[in-house]
Amino acid sequence: MSLLRGRGLGLEIHLAGWDFDAAIAELAARLSERPDFYRGTSATAIAGETPPSPEQLDVLRETLASAGIELHGVRQRVLKLSDSARSLVADFAGARADIAERRKRGEASVRRTNAAPAAPAPALQLAPPAPGTLYHVGTLRGGQALHHPGNIVVVGDVNPGTELVATGDIVVFGRLLGVAHAGAQGDDTAKVYALHLQATQLRIATCIALDEDRAHDASEPEVAFVRDGRIAIAPFSKVAEVAG
Amino acid sequence: MAMHQPVPDEVAAPAAVKLGRAIVITSGKGGVGKTTTTANLGTALAQRGARVALVDADVGLRNLDIVLGLESRVKFHLLDVLEEKAALDEALVRDKHSESLVLLAAAQAREKEEVDTDRMRALIAALRERCDYVLIDCPAGIELGFKNAIAGADEAIVVCTPEVSAVRDVDRVVGLLGNRFKPQLIINRLRPQLVKKGKMLSVEDVNAILRLPLLGVIADEPEIIITTNKGEPLALRRDGETANAYHTIAARVAGEDVPAPAPELRESLMDKLGSFFGGRRA
Amino acid sequence: MAGRRIVVTSGKGGVGKTTTTANLGAALAKRGLRVVLVDADIGLRNLDLVLGLEKRIVFDLVEVAEGRCQLRQALIKDKRFESLAILPAAQTRDKDAMTESQFEAIVAQAAEQADYVLIDCPAGIEGGFRNAVAGATEAIVVTTPEVSAIRDADRVVGKLNDRRLPMRLIVNRLRPEMVRTGDMLSVEDVCEILAIELLGIVPDDAEVIDTTNRGEPIVLDPTARLAAIYEKIARRLEGEMVPFTSFDAQGFLGRIIGALKAG
Repeated sequence: MSLLRGRGLGLEIHLAGWDFDAAIAELAARLSERPDFYRGTSATAIAGETPPSPEQLDVLRETLASAGIELHGVRQRVLKLSDSARSLVADFAGARADIAERRKRGEASVRRTNAAPAAPAPALQLAPPAPGTLYHVGTLRGGQALHHPGNIVVVGDVNPGTELVATGDIVVFGRLLGVAHAGAQGDDTAKVYALHLQATQLRIATCIALDEDRAHDASEPEVAFVRDGRIAIAPFSKVAEVAG
Repeated sequence: MAMHQPVPDEVAAPAAVKLGRAIVITSGKGGVGKTTTTANLGTALAQRGARVALVDADVGLRNLDIVLGLESRVKFHLLDVLEEKAALDEALVRDKHSESLVLLAAAQAREKEEVDTDRMRALIAALRERCDYVLIDCPAGIELGFKNAIAGADEAIVVCTPEVSAVRDVDRVVGLLGNRFKPQLIINRLRPQLVKKGKMLSVEDVNAILRLPLLGVIADEPEIIITTNKGEPLALRRDGETANAYHTIAARVAGEDVPAPAPELRESLMDKLGSFFGGRRA
Repeated sequence: MAGRRIVVTSGKGGVGKTTTTANLGAALAKRGLRVVLVDADIGLRNLDLVLGLEKRIVFDLVEVAEGRCQLRQALIKDKRFESLAILPAAQTRDKDAMTESQFEAIVAQAAEQADYVLIDCPAGIEGGFRNAVAGATEAIVVTTPEVSAIRDADRVVGKLNDRRLPMRLIVNRLRPEMVRTGDMLSVEDVCEILAIELLGIVPDDAEVIDTTNRGEPIVLDPTARLAAIYEKIARRLEGEMVPFTSFDAQGFLGRIIGALKAG
């Protein structure tokens, strides 16, 4: 990824994948090419897996200051989704054992309910800017995957063998037949919506559910959510009042 | 001839060559009938008078030559041409039955990794200059062999059987192909009787997932295996359901507005007897 | 002692590798043996589908190779057979997502806790094939009695010979009536061309398509003709000398006349 990026609100310095000293050298070289171009702007450093040490930050601040740039802050790049989705104490094997137990007791893994999910608590403080939503138009075919730090909206079908992983909600304006994982970094208030919800597997945060009811043919839009630590599905018409 | 005025440069230049269509026949899943379809569709197109080149891209596991009965006539193969050990004309084998059909066989004792993608693309382009249709028989899978087979093609026909694993694999391939190839679907090996009994996926079941324009449906017939083993494509015949299906598909590929062939659900005598006595046939 | 590691391969696609792997595995498990089935077809996985386990996949082969999960977390136990488990392939990845040595290590690990590891090989002889074979110490070659399938099987036999893998043959989808009319090669013909030891003969059966579509291995149905066949193959694999079922389509009258002629 290139080191410098201009954004509407200032400069971004992408340190991920760079050796810190090499990055500073490169930064100094780039800035000296156009000494006054960035004067007066602010910059945000975006670190990769390892955040910079205080000493490193000082070096960065000085390098920028000599070009008239103020270091505004440091952000850490979001973990690769698949890593977080998997490592998130997501011992899905444990969840599977739980499902096996329930099956023995004759309980289906996925509960169909007519009760609406509880409305989320109102935010008391300034929430961080909402993550972007990935908006995809077109049918997704087997073997394709969409991973996104935010919400995912698909206008089209999601075929079996496809994988959707989102930190937020997942909305499929079509048939959801593949695997959908919402709230992939632990948000168990995340939901999965579909016009025709018949996913091979549903995952929300650390909950996982298989739709054992093969005969089910959803004739109306449904939403999946977590209730009492398990995934439940309700007809969308019943929960439409939940704005979220 | 009297010259009334100086001839403008444009007229002196040669007419642009009309490029033939390069269509890859693919599926992802093996054994669904790609090679048989390539041979029969190619034959049917040639029987209509088109100049057709068939290219076997299954390096190391070549079969198109067997299906056409031409294995003894192959002197040079695809890799010989790509590596410039032989000229294209030396490698192209004329079909036994159809005048305007030629075959470029794959190599048997070589590997797919030895095919250079850019050269493959250039080869297909060269074939397009002299043919109306270049049909490329794609190997099973989605590895290098597949990638090389689609290089140079700009259309695709996907072949699928009414089985869940085939649908799964074909869906993957269609996803990999993307919109550029405008894939169309042939459903192969349908057994209408089994579909009627609910023991096989129907055309609707298959296309509910694949959502592709349907070129045609071909019923399963023992004749197909027989003719494949003998090296005489069914499309050489003028009658018979399968032969007609291929001729209709060829017409549709050529742009004619004919309805897609679909096998009828004719109840055979054995089925009637079976249901009379009840239970399974042994 | 670690279990046997057998790759089920063919060269030609669609001859029945996955169906054979699933049913043979199930037949072995029915006899109480511990069986792990490994789907090596990364990107085009089907073994899970054929066993009806596709909805239960959480982790796959590639994730085990990448260290994101343990092997035991990825294994899916089949609810119908006590001692059968499968390791599914990845669907959203490609065959270059794994190396031969990674695959070999995983198969070896699976073999530590199993009597048999059966590896479902992808079609072809490219990278996916090489990975699958890397994990194996024996091979089962599956072919149908058709010229193109045999030619491809022959190529595979050559490659397996290069690696000195002991191999045996299963002839799949035999149609005795077509053999009789000379429209299909006989088992004897096939064996002569390929020159490897015969392990089993499986006749063509329309039921298999339906059971595959429903994710129920045919071995589950004790009345099915093919269930008995796969059980015989399992016994032969275990070392028993089981005679091959005769698929001579002459019929009762034909055999009497034959006997009379023989004098």
